[in-house]
Amino acid sequence: MTGAASQVPPVEVQDIRTCFGRTCIHEGLSLSVRAGEVLALVGASGSGKSVLLREMVLLHRPSAGSVRVFGEEVRDLDGAQANRLRRRIGIMFQQGALFSSLTVAENVAVPLREQTDLPRGLIAEIARLKVALAGLPADACNKYPKELSGGMLKRAAIARALAMDPDLLVLDEPSSGLDPVSANALDELIRQLHESLGFTVLMATHDLDTLWQVAHRVAFLGEKRVLATGTMAELSRAEHPVMVEYFQGPRGRAARGGAWSRG
Amino acid sequence: MTPSREPAGIEWIPEQGVLRLTGAWLTPALTPVERELAAFAPPAGQVRIEAGGLDALDTAGALLLHRLRRDLGRRGKPVDLVGLAGHQQALLDLIAAREEAAGAVPARERPRVFEALGLATAAAAREGLAMMSFLGVTALALLGALLRPTRLRGRAILAVLQNDGVGAMPVLGMLSFLLGVVIAYQSGIQLRLYGGNLYVVDLVSLTVLRELGPLMTAIVVAGRSGSAYTAQIGTMQVTEEVDALRSIGVSPMELLVLPKVIGLIIALPLLTVFADVVAIFGGMVMAEVMLDVSFDTFLARIPEAVWPSSFFTGVGKAPVFAAVIATVGCYQGFQVRGGADSVGRHTTTSVVQAIVLVIVADAAFSVVFSWLGI
Repeated sequence: MTGAASQVPPVEVQDIRTCFGRTCIHEGLSLSVRAGEVLALVGASGSGKSVLLREMVLLHRPSAGSVRVFGEEVRDLDGAQANRLRRRIGIMFQQGALFSSLTVAENVAVPLREQTDLPRGLIAEIARLKVALAGLPADACNKYPKELSGGMLKRAAIARALAMDPDLLVLDEPSSGLDPVSANALDELIRQLHESLGFTVLMATHDLDTLWQVAHRVAFLGEKRVLATGTMAELSRAEHPVMVEYFQGPRGRAARGGAWSRG
Repeated sequence: MTPSREPAGIEWIPEQGVLRLTGAWLTPALTPVERELAAFAPPAGQVRIEAGGLDALDTAGALLLHRLRRDLGRRGKPVDLVGLAGHQQALLDLIAAREEAAGAVPARERPRVFEALGLATAAAAREGLAMMSFLGVTALALLGALLRPTRLRGRAILAVLQNDGVGAMPVLGMLSFLLGVVIAYQSGIQLRLYGGNLYVVDLVSLTVLRELGPLMTAIVVAGRSGSAYTAQIGTMQVTEEVDALRSIGVSPMELLVLPKVIGLIIALPLLTVFADVVAIFGGMVMAEVMLDVSFDTFLARIPEAVWPSSFFTGVGKAPVFAAVIATVGCYQGFQVRGGADSVGRHTTTSVVQAIVLVIVADAAFSVVFSWLGI
């Protein structure tokens, strides 16, 4: 893998301001993602996690501030250069965003067909492999998104995100809408893929179990900026009232207990 | 991926039976090496693959390597793979394991010709029945609503009048004007030959009032509003809004369908009258310019050329067309399942079916009217 070889931070944002009309959701926000880590963004609903994620993957432009992706300042890029960077990022959208008119295998093949000149046979084989890597059975290849359950849909979306062997995998709420069993299995899958493929993972999540089980580092968004970054253990001892409420409520304590009894 | 890296390649050293792998085996750069590997056919004997020269290996590259090893093995050639770095070996092992576990993709069964024909016929029959039953349900709901008019949603009906009635006037006006101009022009060429200029009034007003006015209006509205109904209800179906309505105890029929049907039944005759007037005006302009028939002469001639019955048969068809368009549009909306793809397909079907059914209904009217001698 190319993965962690270069130590340039895959994504680095500095002093970002994001405003929609007169409401600003980020002000002076800075965050750096380290190569090879699993970084989770947390924060209350409306704290701007998804928007920040979109800014980091070149889907939304902040009102002010600097976004550097793989060391390149996003503001200075033209369309072709931006596309070259996008190719190194695989994104799993919250609702999957699989193309409903294509089968799962065809969905995974889309980036390969558009971005490379590989022969069709090989593309089909790679697509099948990615579907298998995402933990789906072979007969899922020929299914359409509407024929899949929620958990399978998320896995198919991960398979598509992995299509181009990204250096950065971005997951927007990977376990939302899943039953605990599927959510655990998905956490396990993300951890396995991260171990064997060595990419950097950036995710937004609310799932406290995911945070304890998968994330190396957690960045807490609040008051329009990053309130703190650190391991779960560090953040759960933080004294900021917003974070205390988040991590030490009944759910937070339960998830932590679970992590300890397992770990 | 960095440009300084060498592209992926292989180097075959026949004397030693060694295949040397070079460069970066990364997804975007695999095409040449895939081609070389396809042509690679070593003679009998052991093959030693030296991977020490690999700069990088990703999953697609590892897949190629796995395939090479597997294919050589199947052809009875013992393979010895050396020189992979630790993490590359781990990646290759992972891929070999997943490939084996996944197995072959079962082919999706496709029906044969006759089976497909049968399935299509059955689907068409089911569709016809379902549409009839939807028409029945709508009619019952309409009857029920007319018996208890307080349950009618006045605001929704007014919104339909505004959006689908008033909103259609600019485009309909323009098309009708042009329609009148074209009819007057085409008939004018013929009439001028034997000095029957004045009969342009008969031709324009009869064709517009009896046939083309109502038909044109219905087609424009089917394209404009019928499609919108399907897309709206279809999207609500996808986002489960229709189910949400049901769960709250609001009948989608009452909220979504009836206002559209009633609103369009009111709007379409009015639009037809508007289209009639504008089209005849277009004919008048052309008659003045081309045939020297003045506006006064034209208007004075109209009562002699057409009877009120011509006008009423034309406008009388409009409510029926309206019912067809609204019912088909809503029905197709409720048939949407799944996602964006399905919304698009049903919107197309909705417009096509509405226009076809409007023309069929128009033909039926012609037959009935000729029996009745109107």
